[in-house]
Amino acid sequence: MTEDENGVRAIGAYAPRHRLPASEVEAAWGSVQASGVGRKAVPGADEDALTMAAAAATNALHADGTDASAVGVLALATTTPPLEEEDLSVRLGSMLGVPESARHEAYGASTRAGTRALAAGFDADLATDEVALVVAADCPKGEPAGERDQAAGAGAAAFVLVDGGPAVALARGSFVRPTPGTRFRERGTERVEGLGVTSYDRAAFTETLAGAVANLDAGADEDDRGAPDGAEGLGDVDAAAVQAPDGAMPYRATDALGVDADAIQRVATVHDLGDTGAASPLLGLAKALADPDVERALVAGYGSGAGADAFVVDVDGAVPASLALDREDERELSYAQYLRLRDEVVSDPPSGGGAYVSVPSWRRTLPERHRLVAGRCEHCGALAFPPEGACGDCGSLDGYEDVQLPGTGTVEAATTISQGGAPPEFALQQQRDGDFDVVVVAFDAPQGDDTVSAPAQLTDVDAGDVSVGDDVVATGRRIYSQEGVTRYGFKVRPARDR
Amino acid sequence: MRDAYIVGAGQSDFGSFPEESYRSLFATAYEHATESIDGDLDPGMVDEAVLGTLGVGGRQIGLSGPAVTEHVGLHGVPTTRVENACAASGYAVRQAVQAVKSGMADLVLAGGYEVMTDASGDATRWWLGVSGETEWERLSGTTFAGVYAQMASAHVDEHGTDPDAMSHVAVKNHAHGAKNPHAQLGFECTLEDARDAPVVADPLTLYHCCPTTDGAAAVLVASEDVAADLSDDPVRVAGVGAASDAVGLFQRDTYAGVPASAMAAERAYDRAGVDPNAVTDAVDFAEVHDCFAIAELMAYADLGFCAPEEAGAFVADGRSDYGGDVVVNSSGGLKSKGHPIGATGAGQVVEAFKQLRGDAGDRQVADAERGLTHNVGGSGGAAVVHVLERATEVSAR
Repeated sequence: MTEDENGVRAIGAYAPRHRLPASEVEAAWGSVQASGVGRKAVPGADEDALTMAAAAATNALHADGTDASAVGVLALATTTPPLEEEDLSVRLGSMLGVPESARHEAYGASTRAGTRALAAGFDADLATDEVALVVAADCPKGEPAGERDQAAGAGAAAFVLVDGGPAVALARGSFVRPTPGTRFRERGTERVEGLGVTSYDRAAFTETLAGAVANLDAGADEDDRGAPDGAEGLGDVDAAAVQAPDGAMPYRATDALGVDADAIQRVATVHDLGDTGAASPLLGLAKALADPDVERALVAGYGSGAGADAFVVDVDGAVPASLALDREDERELSYAQYLRLRDEVVSDPPSGGGAYVSVPSWRRTLPERHRLVAGRCEHCGALAFPPEGACGDCGSLDGYEDVQLPGTGTVEAATTISQGGAPPEFALQQQRDGDFDVVVVAFDAPQGDDTVSAPAQLTDVDAGDVSVGDDVVATGRRIYSQEGVTRYGFKVRPARDR
Repeated sequence: MRDAYIVGAGQSDFGSFPEESYRSLFATAYEHATESIDGDLDPGMVDEAVLGTLGVGGRQIGLSGPAVTEHVGLHGVPTTRVENACAASGYAVRQAVQAVKSGMADLVLAGGYEVMTDASGDATRWWLGVSGETEWERLSGTTFAGVYAQMASAHVDEHGTDPDAMSHVAVKNHAHGAKNPHAQLGFECTLEDARDAPVVADPLTLYHCCPTTDGAAAVLVASEDVAADLSDDPVRVAGVGAASDAVGLFQRDTYAGVPASAMAAERAYDRAGVDPNAVTDAVDFAEVHDCFAIAELMAYADLGFCAPEEAGAFVADGRSDYGGDVVVNSSGGLKSKGHPIGATGAGQVVEAFKQLRGDAGDRQVADAERGLTHNVGGSGGAAVVHVLERATEVSAR
């Protein structure tokens, strides 16, 4: 193994549970503009690129059996950050428990961000026992009448890389070619546009990818590893994870990439999840690495501008995976529900005053909100949440030892908040996603039989489906937005799949 | 310590009054309280005023107490505003009793006021949430209805309570409120009305929830030294108890009861000489804090009327109605009479004063000798219980 290159040791992925079938798009618009997208994933009202990134990363760390404290490099790629300016890799790190001394990097600007972040993971300079965590998450939007929105999906992929990891990049290549206007998002809008010059767009895509493959270079170790240089030898890849702005475009690049359509289809997610932007080629790689029959995969990332990256990844040994893409709690949307969820038809936030939690006071509680950090009373050993003030059991003011809860728990009290009954902070969410359940949960301790209670909102479940005694598990979500600042914290969902 | 007596008590109508202000509402309550005084009240006799309000709408968050007492002509009287959410004026009455019993004052005005119906629905929901545990409970997406609904779910789970019992509470309290000219929702309802009403927070329907209300109440608390001068028929404060608890439901020992209520009752009974195992033998009526119907069911057990698993049957079998073990919420309770947050606790004492003096009209509890009031703040962060009784003669102990 080389001294400067890491390999993937575990993978995670995530997709929201909501799916919009193409038949709903057709019923709404009379025809479907987006090719090859049979259905697509849609984020919940409390989800965004950051929460999806956190979910995929949590799955990857769980598959690896690694605690986030081992992360030395965290790379987040997204073209749909919830904020245009602010480094969201830092909040992602907080949600996961990545040490503040770790390198935090954010990639954006084009859908190529995913493969740029992956390159950073392969190149990361890691200390012994350190891991690199690469996460790509995206949930693009477009004009609802157009092909981009009809293709626009949602998903996230995450990779744990270490020195000596079993899936390594044998060869890499990159290429750029100035090609404005194929896909862009103007300042101040959430909607991706393109001029729609068909032949120009296709040429930008295929020729830039072809350039990246032609530049594949195994570097100094070429002879040792029998890696392909340029496009030669690529015909024997088992899978090709190719950027998929829609369900047809990747197959137009078979000649350019030197792969057959079956290799692309084998690991494609676009037909089920839609255009996942920066996460698209990484989701394909995740599927390839989770497939025990794939020994060599091509990863081909493309971003408008235009630029492309290609990796030849060889797998030697099993790569543990936790891919929450096919969900048993899947919910099929009508087009009207889709517009509600996408925030197209809801009203402005209600005005008011009253209860208010400032951002500085919210920040004080980030360990509790992001990672369920409770406390064990230093006097009597009882658990407390939040861990501050006098112990609820013994009244001691001795303080607390931090205890990170595993997030599993049991419902102790439950209700459903009906339409119009939500506090104003949640009124918009309720307009978008409907009634919601609120519970008191007895969260399990990491060891032992004791529990500690906290209030939480249910997510990823229909209202009224949860009752006292049910098992739930915590998941990071958007809680509410105020003064332009979205506050992230934990909700809970039924303990079914992970 | 000296005995304390209630020598006057009155309230404004409870309801929605766009033409009124918190000061004009309190002026009405104060006027009715002074009218109930049998002797001559000189404003200069009032040593102290303690007034409760949450301050919904924010109209005068600071110094609203003096703004009210100056408005009614109690110039210069030291006035303290008490804030304990929905238990604000229950605590104000308790403060008045303490001032009298300690010897610091001979006559104290206690009361409360709130204006809640002059804001948009959205603004009102902001304000209704301010007494929940703000940083965690509220931000899980609950309002008070949600928290009490969670308590109902725990009560059903732990005690096998039939949710229909909550509809029985609504029917009973509306029947009582229909006889109270001050009530906001002074109409009767059927079990079906309550059961089939729109769900606010499962299992609570609209009829299981009290309204938002404008109103004020005033109570004059006198020492044994002056009570006889002011009243021919004063009401003796036999015992007061109060307790607080964690503000968030999730921080408490039980969700199927209000521990602060039980603690407050235990202390009040101890001071009043009421056997905690035979409360319904000792009291003829009780004004209990039924902000939501489940709250009244929980109060039955917290106040010692019955075991928690009997609470549903206690109302369904008529044991909390006229002719039963104890008449609960003869005024209509918060459900029918209304719940102007800061005025509610003092308003309960107004009802007890009327019942014990035989002035309760069509809703008079026969031979009422002793009653109690039970006032809760938030979902149980504060509670206060008063035991009040007819005083055949005022005497120093």
